[in-house]
Amino acid sequence: MAKALANQPWRKANVARRLQIFVASLIPLPLVVLITITAHLNPILSFAGLFLPLQLIAASVVGYLAYGRRGVGDAVLVVLTFFFSAFVLILLLSVLSSVVIQGSRAISWQFISQNNVYVSPTTSLDYGGVGHAVVGTLLVVLLTTIAAVPLGLAMAIYLTQSQSKTRNLVRTFTQALSGLPSVVSGLFILSIIEATHIGRSGFTGALALFPLMLPTVARVAEEALKLVPVDLRYAALALGAPNYRAFFQVILPAAKSGLLTALLLGLARVVGETAPLILTMNPSSSTSLNPFNGGMTTLPTYIYNYLASSYETSQARAWGAALVLLILVGFLFGLARVLGKNKSIKSKASK
Amino acid sequence: MTNLITSSSLRAENVSVWFGERQVLKDVNLVFPANQVTALIGPSGCGKSTFLRTLNRMHELIPGAGLAGAVYLDEQDIYSEAMDAVSVRIKVGMVFQKPNPFPTMSIKENILSGLKLSGRKIKDADQLVETSLRRASIWNEVKDRLSDQAISLSGGQQQRLCIARSLAMDPEVLLMDEPCSALDPGSTRRIEETISELAESMSIVIVTHNMQQAQRVSDQTAFFLAEEGMPGGVVEFGSTEQVFNGPIDQRTNDYVNGHFG
Repeated sequence: MAKALANQPWRKANVARRLQIFVASLIPLPLVVLITITAHLNPILSFAGLFLPLQLIAASVVGYLAYGRRGVGDAVLVVLTFFFSAFVLILLLSVLSSVVIQGSRAISWQFISQNNVYVSPTTSLDYGGVGHAVVGTLLVVLLTTIAAVPLGLAMAIYLTQSQSKTRNLVRTFTQALSGLPSVVSGLFILSIIEATHIGRSGFTGALALFPLMLPTVARVAEEALKLVPVDLRYAALALGAPNYRAFFQVILPAAKSGLLTALLLGLARVVGETAPLILTMNPSSSTSLNPFNGGMTTLPTYIYNYLASSYETSQARAWGAALVLLILVGFLFGLARVLGKNKSIKSKASK
Repeated sequence: MTNLITSSSLRAENVSVWFGERQVLKDVNLVFPANQVTALIGPSGCGKSTFLRTLNRMHELIPGAGLAGAVYLDEQDIYSEAMDAVSVRIKVGMVFQKPNPFPTMSIKENILSGLKLSGRKIKDADQLVETSLRRASIWNEVKDRLSDQAISLSGGQQQRLCIARSLAMDPEVLLMDEPCSALDPGSTRRIEETISELAESMSIVIVTHNMQQAQRVSDQTAFFLAEEGMPGGVVEFGSTEQVFNGPIDQRTNDYVNGHFG
């Protein structure tokens, strides 16, 4: 101990109290498990209704014995923090693990690369795949992004850099738009399709996703630009910069990582959308590279169609597609992070 | 006082400033001769920082700001139709109270940023970087780390970097808005030495709350005051020697001797 102190002159944070309370909070666990099994209780109900109160009591008693009245409050907060963190983590992990476990049955290189032509509900998993839906998802999301990101960014610039009096109006409408149910957006585009007789295509799907992505990008980008200190803008202007150069050379680079977050949240908002695309796109089994004509399938609509089927192979395909979508989103996010890596982060960390 | 007005490089005539309906400055007349350091002193809220900003039109960034009067830079009114804010700011540099280097740029890029931001060509970048950093007396500290991020510097170094950034533009006038108020005594002393050296090639206007600093660095001093509910204005203007040691106005006397403000 003395040796460790010599090497590390700083004093360790006192974790003993939290550890004591944490251990105490686990004491009722065997009891709860026993009761749940013998009485055939719903495990989730018994954990929330039985384990949590028992945990609180056990930890409070230990806290009181060890530290008096203040120990009780400490114990309650520690138990609540751990319980709900664990609750959320377990939820997340169970969603992820069920997608990975169920999806891995169907997944293979052929499943990712082949399309759905000549696939019937009973076709074996060795044949056919979601390649067409991967291409469709990428094309539709790309089209939406091309339209929504520049416009959303422009809105954010308008909301943060101008002193116009209509800003509050624009901000209110943006907030209202972000509450738009996605199916309403789909119905709106559907009514346009019906009225104008333009054919359904990837493009009409992208149109339906556009009002969903735009407010997300605009609002997050606005927050990112707001975080840039006004000092930097003044510094740039005092050096004789016109407004546009001050923005592009100083404010934009400073807000880069926040703007990247705006893009990612925008992508996340639309990449899994199903309802508007079911309304505005015709499903297709073949791979289509033309988003302006003919049918096109995206991964969420593929999942929707196959999950409803009662055939086991179809359901396996749906789970496989869900896993592919998960991987695709992870890949897009990773790519964006690598491309947008802020070089100043390194020197900040080393400071 | 008359002997100070020789080769004026900057002159404010009857400058009044409003923010919306509220008048914050009334009829300010000051002359800033070439190669002289002028200190603007006065209690908080007297309008001296606002006045400083009218000298390079930075006050226009505040919504609702309005100005009457004129500011002459080499006999050219900077508020005339022929001048725009951008060309004024290229000639009249500014250093702010809080060091504000550009965080996404390296030390070198910060020095060159003024030229890039004002859309001018950079000739011999390395030489310009070295000269500017030397003039701000920070070259020896940063010469081996020019490509480091500017925010890795200490506060005092950042402020001298900001001075060097302004100097790279080769301004005719340098405005400083309490440049040392966030710095330690050592950094303050170095910046004061820098100011004295820079005065050989430009005129400097410095706002300060530090009476000793005003006496140490300036050749002439203007005392600003805003009476209760009234716009601010200049109470006394003259050589630093006179303002501090033999002020004519009683209010100046009270302020420089620490009786109020």
